[in-house]
Amino acid sequence: MPRRASSPLHFGWWIAALLLVGGTAGGGYTLFRTVNDPFRTSAVLDTQIYLENANSLRGNVYRVNGTVRNFIKGTNTGRLFSVEVDDMAKSILPIVVPATLNQINIQRGQQFAIRFEVDENGILRVQELRKI
Amino acid sequence: MDTDSYGLKKFGKRFLVLFTAASPYLLWAQAPETGPAIAPAAPAAAPSASGGGGADKPTSTSPGLVPSLDPASGIVSWNGQTWNINDNRLFNARFEKYLNAPEETTQADLEYQGILRTILHKLSPTQITPANMDEAFRLLPKAAAFDSDARLCDSIADSVYSVWMARKELQRLAKANDSLREEQKAAEWNAGMASELPTTGRSAPKNATAASEWAKDRALKRDTRMAPYTTRIAEIRALIVANQAKRELSQVQTKIEFQALCVQLFFQRRFQHVLIATRFYRGVFGDGDTLLRVSDDARSLFGKTTGMPPTVSTLDTMANEVIRDCRESVQAYEFLLGKDELKSATERLAEGFAPGEYMPEFRTLPREKKRAALKFTQASNQLLSALDVKDYTLAEKLVHELELTARDFDSSKPMAAIQTAKTVAGMHLAKAKNAAVSGDRETLESELKEATAIWPRNPALAEVSGVIFKQADVQLEALDLLDELLGRKEYRRIYDDRVRFIAAAALYPERQEQLQKVLDAMTTIEGTIARALEIEKRGDAAGAWETVEHVYLQYPNDNKLNELRANLTTEASEFVKTLRAAERLEKEEQPGSSLAWYLKAQSMYPGSEFAQKGIERQADKILP
Repeated sequence: MPRRASSPLHFGWWIAALLLVGGTAGGGYTLFRTVNDPFRTSAVLDTQIYLENANSLRGNVYRVNGTVRNFIKGTNTGRLFSVEVDDMAKSILPIVVPATLNQINIQRGQQFAIRFEVDENGILRVQELRKI
Repeated sequence: MDTDSYGLKKFGKRFLVLFTAASPYLLWAQAPETGPAIAPAAPAAAPSASGGGGADKPTSTSPGLVPSLDPASGIVSWNGQTWNINDNRLFNARFEKYLNAPEETTQADLEYQGILRTILHKLSPTQITPANMDEAFRLLPKAAAFDSDARLCDSIADSVYSVWMARKELQRLAKANDSLREEQKAAEWNAGMASELPTTGRSAPKNATAASEWAKDRALKRDTRMAPYTTRIAEIRALIVANQAKRELSQVQTKIEFQALCVQLFFQRRFQHVLIATRFYRGVFGDGDTLLRVSDDARSLFGKTTGMPPTVSTLDTMANEVIRDCRESVQAYEFLLGKDELKSATERLAEGFAPGEYMPEFRTLPREKKRAALKFTQASNQLLSALDVKDYTLAEKLVHELELTARDFDSSKPMAAIQTAKTVAGMHLAKAKNAAVSGDRETLESELKEATAIWPRNPALAEVSGVIFKQADVQLEALDLLDELLGRKEYRRIYDDRVRFIAAAALYPERQEQLQKVLDAMTTIEGTIARALEIEKRGDAAGAWETVEHVYLQYPNDNKLNELRANLTTEASEFVKTLRAAERLEKEEQPGSSLAWYLKAQSMYPGSEFAQKGIERQADKILP
């Protein structure tokens, strides 16, 4: 009489093991990102609200990640840039980099994490920015 | 038209002067009207022509009192008036009436003419006898019974009868004188007897004184005895002389009355009756005295026309001459009619008709033959009227018709007048047109006036006037519309009809300037539209919209531009919507949000001027 073959590992176990590994990796990545985001304490700007009416956002500090599109204007008080935000709408926002941040070299196409304040005129005045 | 030829040329001038001089009937037929009314229509028939008439015009003898005719021009002068015998309305009317009248060839007409011929035959010099004269006298009432006689034969019979009655009176006076002479003789005898005193036996005393007394006494007695007889003799002599005077006077009076009848019949153009009357005259007055006892004026006229004192024979011969001439006129008419020479034929008939209206040759001419002359006369009169009223179109048409119907019609004079008038009128019209084009209103009016005066019924005049006035109306209408459209800024309508407005405003510098601005604007709009359409064809709806939008802001009322803008707004709706949002926020003093929208718009259409300028404006606000 042939010898009965031994039964393999159940298929469900394999699925569960994969999910566990994936979840652990994702969680780790998210945790890594959160821990490494320098402006994680600031809220992300809702660009749609800003575009519709900036008045409601005055005085608040927000952050966005974006790519520098153009240098618009520069004065003694600061530099004005247009930034394409990394969101679904790919909104373009103008940001004013004050003269205090003149030491930061900002070039077209560079990606930055930007924290700014919406001033009383609805202008986004950069408080801090980091290349990412 | 040579109307002079209608005159009575065939007649001797001297006869015509006499004929027209005192004819009451002819004077009725040719009675002058008022000055202007009788003015001849055609230049050829101008009254002034009478001034250049015959060298020895009869009017010179008694100007203004006696009518006269210049046969060269057919002009009659009378009482300070002149007129052409053939252009007179009454003459023409009477002649046309005759031409329309049927021929008098009925049995009664033939019978009447037969009676007149019989009377004339019986009174002819070779046939006249007391018996024939009585027979002719009896035929007079028969002839008078016909309407066409107008009771003239009765008048002749009355005159003859009057002569006969006068003659009886003369005989009675002669008998009375015979009786008076007998009585005169008796009275003379008695006077002679009375002059012889009876012898009383006493002789004359011897004493001289007594003898003288005795002689005186006897003479007284003789005178006393003779006185009744001598008185009667004187009375008888006076009666005889008176009777002789009565006879003479009665004879002269009857002659004058008869002569007056003859003259009257002559002037009534009843020449057959003239012959009858003159032959009766010779029959009843056998003394050979035929001298006409007429007024000095009439005698002068007869003398000037015949060269002799007027007599009954003069009337007789002239009547015979007229009758012959009338016969020839009718014969000439029929001959010329057969040759299709209507002008000459009608002239001959008209010439003969004036004196010979009552002649049997005229009365019996068939109406069908007269119709040809009638048509020519009517056309001729119409031509004169057309020339008179300066209707040269109708005149030319009539001339051509007359040329066709009358081979001998001379069209050179009327055609020369017509063509001259047309040419001159055309020149004035051309000047008027030029003046209208150049806006010279004064010249336009004067030239139009001249053209109208020369040829009032010129069809081209109405046409040109219509065009000019229509042009003026159109110009005014165009200027009004231009002002209205300028007020409403409807430049598109001005541009679409720019040729009309440019022409209308040519004389108005202020409007020209306004129009030029409009046309410049429309040129810009049209250019923009063309560019936008071209850009749209390349698929750049936002670029096309922005091209249109720039001009739209300047000219928001242009429909075509608006329509294109609306279409492009739909096609580039996202871009437009983005720009509108930027503009709205800009107005709301939100430079940050506004700039964000402008940046978005620029990302959609990098070449957008609106976006670029918006960005610059907002950047200046953000970073002053």
